Amino acid sequence: MNRKKMLTIAISAAVAAGNILNEHSNDFLKASSKESFRDIVTEVDKYAENEIIKILKMHDPNIPFLTEESGFIEGINEKDYQWIVDALDGTVNYVNHIPFYAVSIALMEKGRPVVGVIYNPMLGDLYYGAEGIGVYKNHAKIKIRDGKEEETLFAVAFSGKNYDPLKRSKEFLMFGKVNDSTRGCLRTGSAAMNLAYLAEGKFGGCWGKANKIWDVAAGILLAKLAGAVVEYKTINKEKNLISYIAVVPSALKFLKGKVRL
Amino acid sequence: MNKKVLVYGAGAIGRGFLPWVFSPQKYEYYYVEINNNLRNLLNKNKKFISFKARNNRYESVTVPVKYCFNLGEEKEKVREVDFVITAVGPRNVLSIAENLKETTVPIICCENDYSIPELISSITNNPHVVFAIPDVITSNSAPSELKEKDPLAIVTEDGVCYIDKKVDWIGGEVTYVSKEELRKQWLAKLYLHNTPHCIAAYLGNILSVKYLHEAMQNKMSEEIVRGAMNEMKCVLLRKFHLEKGFVGWYANKELKRFKNTLLFDPIDRVAREPFRKLAPSERLIGAAQLCISCGIVPKNIILGIMAAFCYNNPSDADANIKYLIEALEPKDFLKIAIRLHSSEALYELLLDEWKYNINKLRRLK
Repeated sequence: MNRKKMLTIAISAAVAAGNILNEHSNDFLKASSKESFRDIVTEVDKYAENEIIKILKMHDPNIPFLTEESGFIEGINEKDYQWIVDALDGTVNYVNHIPFYAVSIALMEKGRPVVGVIYNPMLGDLYYGAEGIGVYKNHAKIKIRDGKEEETLFAVAFSGKNYDPLKRSKEFLMFGKVNDSTRGCLRTGSAAMNLAYLAEGKFGGCWGKANKIWDVAAGILLAKLAGAVVEYKTINKEKNLISYIAVVPSALKFLKGKVRL
Repeated sequence: MNKKVLVYGAGAIGRGFLPWVFSPQKYEYYYVEINNNLRNLLNKNKKFISFKARNNRYESVTVPVKYCFNLGEEKEKVREVDFVITAVGPRNVLSIAENLKETTVPIICCENDYSIPELISSITNNPHVVFAIPDVITSNSAPSELKEKDPLAIVTEDGVCYIDKKVDWIGGEVTYVSKEELRKQWLAKLYLHNTPHCIAAYLGNILSVKYLHEAMQNKMSEEIVRGAMNEMKCVLLRKFHLEKGFVGWYANKELKRFKNTLLFDPIDRVAREPFRKLAPSERLIGAAQLCISCGIVPKNIILGIMAAFCYNNPSDADANIKYLIEALEPKDFLKIAIRLHSSEALYELLLDEWKYNINKLRRLK
């Protein structure tokens, strides 16, 4: 499969979806209750996702999809490739107009990401890359900024809504340990953007436990292409959950010492 | 005793032009070059020939090379030489800046970016960093008959080198000038050379030709380049108040240069890194913005900008421009890749005539 072509298609779909998110970013002002608020978010998310599916299918109807809203969509006679799509990663940030959310699209080849696009439509920041091509933000090539843990900022994306008190306190404990030994640790609300910022050299590392695969598939590739060390494992295949750490080489030992996948 | 010079970058300016400015009979040449093949060949042959195209024929000078270092190996030599010249390209200057801290001798920057000397001076704490303008076109290659004489052969035209007069003790065939004169020459070079020169190259890329003079042989392409030159002439007169005679003379000189059939100036060299040339204050977008600020509609420069958007060279550092122009709607391309805001007049001008201009460029062939 021609990766340049697939990358071009994925960019096209991500930006089209991002434009939809931008157009609807004020719709929440109309919400009269918590329920209607949630309905609007789901509606926008779905609308953007449909646009992505439409564009990707138009170019190649054979490739199956795994998406946040629609789940698995079968392709035709195509077993090696799969699109993984999240039309909106960072919903809380989006509805609160905090510019840290993104559209995330990855093309998987035999289970590993080979093309990835992350688009933050509010800032117009487009991160994209593919194996054999490299990794870019907008017009420029990007790479990680390697450095020891004390010289860099870390980030994590976990929901905070894990209501098992023991599990929840463990996550916050881990967060605190990393926060205390580094320049700081942020809980940002978007795993995709965390990985994009790592690829760009703004973060030194990030991790996630039991994240949905569509949140991180593109980011894992981009971080790796930019020079980060990325380790991940599938936690629950049925539920599409993976845990991962992604970090600059000089801080790998530190992060592995603090975070257990 | 001969003066010693360490030149960063054995490319077009470093190898092709400088030996005509600082004669090898009076200056000993040391180079720093990261291209392994080129460096090894320079060290193996210990010399190369630079050809100068003058009066429709070639003159030549053989340049003995004392040594060509890899970047990082030159730290002792940089302290010993009489002066240093950088000719590595604005994108690469930062990668050599650390090494320049090792020396207190004058550093002459031939970098096509007026801000570079100040940057290097602040990084190195060296007050003797000056700007130089090689007013010349130098190819980084040579036609095959010259390559047969020397695989390292390179061709330059008969140019002028302007350098800040505060280092005039260095000597050479240099026109040492005041800061004011240097600024005037820089403005002319930036807008009457750089802008139309790269436009010619992007048009040449669309025409699928190899050398700049071939692009100028196409009538429509020549008209666009001439038109862009006229737009920039107006800017220099209206905004910077340069003398009309100087501007006219400079523009004619440049058009003649672009057509020089002896130079073999590769399109790929002149057009390289289109995103750098499309930066907000650079020779394409910056030039168009200047025109608009002076009340000039830069129709031809806009065609040049569109040609740069279409640049197709898979081996270029900015080869991703092709993915983006293919993937994105024009308005998204301008926002994401070029960082133009929808409230800007240039954004409107580019969008309004987008299809018309693309079709016009297609008709070049």
